[in-house]
Amino acid sequence: MGKFIRVDMTSKEVKIGECPEKYAGIAGRGLTSNFVADEVKPTCHPLGKNNKLIFAPGFLTGTSAANSGRLSCGAKSPLTGGIKESNTGGTFSQKMAKMGIKAIVFEGIPAEDKYFVVKVTMNGVTIDEAPAETVGMGNYDAIKVLQQKYGEKVGVAIIGPAGEMRLSAANISFADRESNLRSAGRGGLGAVMGSKKIKAVVIDDTGAPGVAIADPEAFKSAAKRFAKALTTHPVCQGLGRYGTNVLVNILNEAGGLPTENFRRGRNEWANNIGGETMTATMEARGGKPTHGCHAGCVIQCSQHYVDKKGKYITGGFEYETIWALGANAKINDLDIIAYADREFDEAGVDSIDCAVAVGLAMESGIIPWGDGKAALELIKEIRKGTPLGRILGCGAAAVGRMFGLSRVPVVKGQAIPAYDPRAVKGEGLTYATTAMGADHTAGYAVATNILKVGGFVDPLKKEGQVELSRNLQIATATIDSTGMCLFIAFAILDIPDGFNALVDMINAQYGLSLTGDDIAALGKSILKIERGFNQRAGFTNAADRLPEFFEEECPPHNVTWEFTGEEIDEVMNF
Amino acid sequence: MIELRAFMGLADLFRERNWPSPLEVDIQGEMTGAQLLAMLDIPPEKVEVVFVNGRAFTPPMAVLTGGDRVALVPPGVPGTYRVLLGFKKLD
Repeated sequence: MGKFIRVDMTSKEVKIGECPEKYAGIAGRGLTSNFVADEVKPTCHPLGKNNKLIFAPGFLTGTSAANSGRLSCGAKSPLTGGIKESNTGGTFSQKMAKMGIKAIVFEGIPAEDKYFVVKVTMNGVTIDEAPAETVGMGNYDAIKVLQQKYGEKVGVAIIGPAGEMRLSAANISFADRESNLRSAGRGGLGAVMGSKKIKAVVIDDTGAPGVAIADPEAFKSAAKRFAKALTTHPVCQGLGRYGTNVLVNILNEAGGLPTENFRRGRNEWANNIGGETMTATMEARGGKPTHGCHAGCVIQCSQHYVDKKGKYITGGFEYETIWALGANAKINDLDIIAYADREFDEAGVDSIDCAVAVGLAMESGIIPWGDGKAALELIKEIRKGTPLGRILGCGAAAVGRMFGLSRVPVVKGQAIPAYDPRAVKGEGLTYATTAMGADHTAGYAVATNILKVGGFVDPLKKEGQVELSRNLQIATATIDSTGMCLFIAFAILDIPDGFNALVDMINAQYGLSLTGDDIAALGKSILKIERGFNQRAGFTNAADRLPEFFEEECPPHNVTWEFTGEEIDEVMNF
Repeated sequence: MIELRAFMGLADLFRERNWPSPLEVDIQGEMTGAQLLAMLDIPPEKVEVVFVNGRAFTPPMAVLTGGDRVALVPPGVPGTYRVLLGFKKLD
């Protein structure tokens, strides 16, 4: 059934019990969202004593299933005021699963004004005082300090200076196998962790029993089919070679690459910041274009981007960050963008929200459009905690408010990512309707039995988009419960046996007989629960709308966002 | 003339052939994307989508005339975008 660990930061008591019956059949985002909906008062202050933070691996995490090492983190978000699931790679999740831990919950707030490290081992859980030097330290160095103290290979979940300052775009960073960073990026969960004065959680799986599999032979055969569906699909080669940054040229061509704070969907320099150029640069300099964020990943979309001397600058260098700084803020320089990405990681902030915020800083005249050096200096203020740094570290909505802007691309307070909703209308509906706030990954996965949209969806037109967004969101919520990386869905789109193999693996591991329809039902129930939480938190369908300025035309297609409220509300009407 | 770009592995193919990107290609009248690929000796299985003026088509369905902005996309684009941008027809 799995262990359920509760860490009370007020009393410093730790309870390790069996997973409650009601959570036995769910995992990952299914578990975090159900737990938050059950135990977190929807009207609570997200930085107060009634918010709770939960980490949960997925159904298949810790097994030999390819790409199964993701972790879900859940809480009420200080950024959106609604429910949040934030998903990450790194080593933490697989360690939890191998130790038989279904979830760890952090609740309460200590009276003392100091930071703690929660240590999780096979011998139990302790709450130590955080090493003094880690407080205020950049994340890369802080992870080194913690791994020196607790063990080179321990998993680490950590907040940076931004989380200590409880900034609303603060993230939780997670060590990967090389002790670089991955991120539970969106929604300010680092601020929640900071409000509980938890500087870091370290996890040591020495002596862990590993994951029990009910039918090992059936599992092995399903895992083989699943891995084959991934590795034989061209998306593995595409993402492995070019990273997610492959999308710059694609979206630019499609006219949906937001440029100059969402004024147009195409620009002339996109190729300079795209995946092809990034990979050519890394190859020329001795970087690593192909890299996996967790053990068992066969897609390997990550990379090590290096400077002219071949020295590591940053990894997990994503399309979203590069788009926001390179196209939206017009910084035509991948190296500066890489240093900015590094700086976001050191401070421990969401590199989407804060990068969109940089564009708004330019919109407000604080720094010139396209000035990468000025942008980098501004970003460095985040971890210094200057007033301007704090504003930027609270994300796009905060900059918009502080500088009196009306052109603020956010939904439910969270910055809109790298696909203009007017030119990619299905994406726009997902931004508007997901409980997560504007989130491109909320409608990211396809499962072929769910996705029964007939015909051809034109991204510039309204037809078919409501069903598409709905079905993508249902499938995504399901996949987020498995511990799988969402990118598996790219292969499953074309290879239905990949989805069947996924269901077969879950059945073989747990001794179940779930069908594809059962899996779909899980996705639907998660969405309903999340929506229910938000309603109880005070959200109405007025929150499921895009900013007014998207009524303007977006070149080159000169399309507008013209869905009515009733049409948008149909997405979640199931 | 059409203005032709190529992405991902197809950009490598252009580079191997010493073709600039964008490449200017002289076409007479109208032609389909499939015909363009044949003319340029690009194996059809290497191209999933032809963009014409920012709209995505399969190579046989793409219709090009002079003045068009065209781009070639191989298989391997992350999947949701293939659906959201209309590359992949669902049935």
